[in-house]
Amino acid sequence: MKRLFLTIAAMALAAPALAYDGTNCKAPGNCWEPKPDYPERVEGSKYDPQHDPAELSKQGESLAVMDARNAWRVWNMKKTGSFEYDVKKIDGYDETTAPPAE
Amino acid sequence: MISNTPKARGASGLAMAVALGFAVLTPAPATANEQLVEMAKDPANWVMTGRDYNAQNYSEMTDINKENVRQLRPAWSFSTGVLHGHEGTPLVVGDRMFVHSPFPNTTFALDLNEPGKIVWMNKPKQNPTARTVACCDVVNRGLAYWPGDGDVKPLIFRTQLDGHIVAMDAETGETRWIMENSDIKVGSTLTIAPYVIKDMVLVGSSGAELGVRGYVTAYDVKSGEMRWRAFATGPDEELLLAEDFNAPNPHYGQKNLGTETWEGDAWKIGGGTNWGWYAYDPDEDLFYYGSGNPAPWNETMRPGDNKWTMAIWGREATTGQAKFAYQKTPHDEWDYAGVNVMMLSEQEDKQGQMRKMLTHPDRNGIVYTLDRTNGDLISADKMDDTVNWVKEVQLDTGLPVRDPEFGTRMDHKARDICPSAMGYHNQGHDSYDPERKLFMLGINHICMDWEPFMLPYRAGQFFVGATLTMYPGPKGDRQNALGLGQIKAYDAITGEMKWDKMERFAVWGGTMATAGGLTFYGTLDGFIKARDSDTGDLLWKFKLPSGVIGHPMTYKHDGRQYVAIMYGVGGWPGVGLVFDLADPTAGLGSVGAFKRLQEYTQMGGGVMVFSIDGDGPYSDPMVGEYVSGEPT
Repeated sequence: MKRLFLTIAAMALAAPALAYDGTNCKAPGNCWEPKPDYPERVEGSKYDPQHDPAELSKQGESLAVMDARNAWRVWNMKKTGSFEYDVKKIDGYDETTAPPAE
Repeated sequence: MISNTPKARGASGLAMAVALGFAVLTPAPATANEQLVEMAKDPANWVMTGRDYNAQNYSEMTDINKENVRQLRPAWSFSTGVLHGHEGTPLVVGDRMFVHSPFPNTTFALDLNEPGKIVWMNKPKQNPTARTVACCDVVNRGLAYWPGDGDVKPLIFRTQLDGHIVAMDAETGETRWIMENSDIKVGSTLTIAPYVIKDMVLVGSSGAELGVRGYVTAYDVKSGEMRWRAFATGPDEELLLAEDFNAPNPHYGQKNLGTETWEGDAWKIGGGTNWGWYAYDPDEDLFYYGSGNPAPWNETMRPGDNKWTMAIWGREATTGQAKFAYQKTPHDEWDYAGVNVMMLSEQEDKQGQMRKMLTHPDRNGIVYTLDRTNGDLISADKMDDTVNWVKEVQLDTGLPVRDPEFGTRMDHKARDICPSAMGYHNQGHDSYDPERKLFMLGINHICMDWEPFMLPYRAGQFFVGATLTMYPGPKGDRQNALGLGQIKAYDAITGEMKWDKMERFAVWGGTMATAGGLTFYGTLDGFIKARDSDTGDLLWKFKLPSGVIGHPMTYKHDGRQYVAIMYGVGGWPGVGLVFDLADPTAGLGSVGAFKRLQEYTQMGGGVMVFSIDGDGPYSDPMVGEYVSGEPT
């Protein structure tokens, strides 16, 4: 309720711009405004995306394991002089640790 | 010798290369930067996507010119053996032409003395599932070349749709290393061409239509070791900002905006991928590129400016740190993915001051010109007067003044928005003629209706959330779905169009200008055309086997100038034809707009090479003939 009130107050202050035209900035580089009748925040509104945090973290996890495998590939090529893509064929590979420091 | 697998040994290939007398490039003792700059000065070579670091697609050669272009004929051709969209352009280094292909991204090396001979071929094995998470056909935009040093011989770099970056020996095609950059399981693919700066290879990202948070990565050319990675959204440490980021233009925004312009954790699936092109200024050690659209397309689900999607970046190559960024489309509502070509020039501004500039024709219908040393906005002109989402771009604030009538929002179907999501300009790599001080722009003329809808995010699934109908712009023929493209010569200082011409379909592949006063480009309906750079008059054209979505290139071999172009229709405009779709809203709305395309072209895939009178390596028909007892 308080949020709704603030939203209405903010909209009143933003007058005379009746609609979002991109020129009323809260701060440098931050000029977004809700359109008339649309919420300032979507959380709890009928447009709440309700993102699952587990889904949102999948990309970061995926990059971490790819980078870890790459580190082993680089380490192995430096050590042996030949390249092996398949980390399971890399001598000493351990998916839970980084390759030994040089 | 044809090596079908990356494991194929290089020794015999190298021996054969020597036996056949191929030029073995002797690396000079300069840095890779300087070597590439030097090599690009030689008209024999085309060593990177936009020919040189200025990315002008411009050639000093005058052998082919306005007077004799009517005598231009095919000299030879090569089929890649695959269908689907053939974007980008081949590279030429010395006696070799390097050709890339769409999925499965086979790389070919051809001998320019005898192009009938495939010197090597490197064909990767990829998980076919990669195809299912490609938003807009299984295209690839090109290769990169590193000239080698005392330790390591020259290398060719390739990205693969399945997310790998690969280094191959340029002589033999043998794979040197492969690294994982993108994971198809989360919808992250690669279509961008790699780009070599110093001893690093840059790799972009794709997948904003699947909610992929964009990033650019630099790898060591020799070992594949990651040097740095910079994201488009999120905390400043991950954005990789320099201490003085945007200090010359603090009103562009500076610290903490990668999170503050988003609600909650939405930035984690916020798009901003870069799959376009790069340019580089060695004196500033800054490279330039654009970040793509925020995810999802449904604007109501992501309040805020959504920084730093849709931004022009100036990053220090050595460290990856951003010196400046300018957001062109705050809080995107139209999928104006800001990844388009960056063309560098040095020109006098309106005050008569010599400026180092960067010119960038964006999806949103505006051509931006910035001072590339500090990000100052010099000009921002509509590429066509029918652009309506924005009234103007204020040069002092840098803000686009939006017209609320043409915005998008939930529970509302917006109509007649121009440009459409395909933009008034897309992935085509254009050109700049430094003599005429004109940018040759391949333009789209497509508008749209747009209605968003709510949808959940599931990693690996599409995260678009909008239904589109696209059709020709006001200057085209909406009844007959034709008149979807334009080509124009643009002056970035005066903002004037020196000339403009309509095209039947979008000019999707880009342009190339030459000192011969010619502007070359390919069309979706299957022609390569040459126009007079001063007047825009059509001087010559040739009917290729299929439509074109790549940019033309030119090189000199044995004292003869050749013009080469890839054909093979596809990409976003071709998805209806390529995947046999009929629903006009399918293909993210492109099927309806390009429903007439199939009346003019079918799929293909190859390179066509032209010269005056078609003279070339086989003008002597005995060249390349089988002679008993000799290896061929």
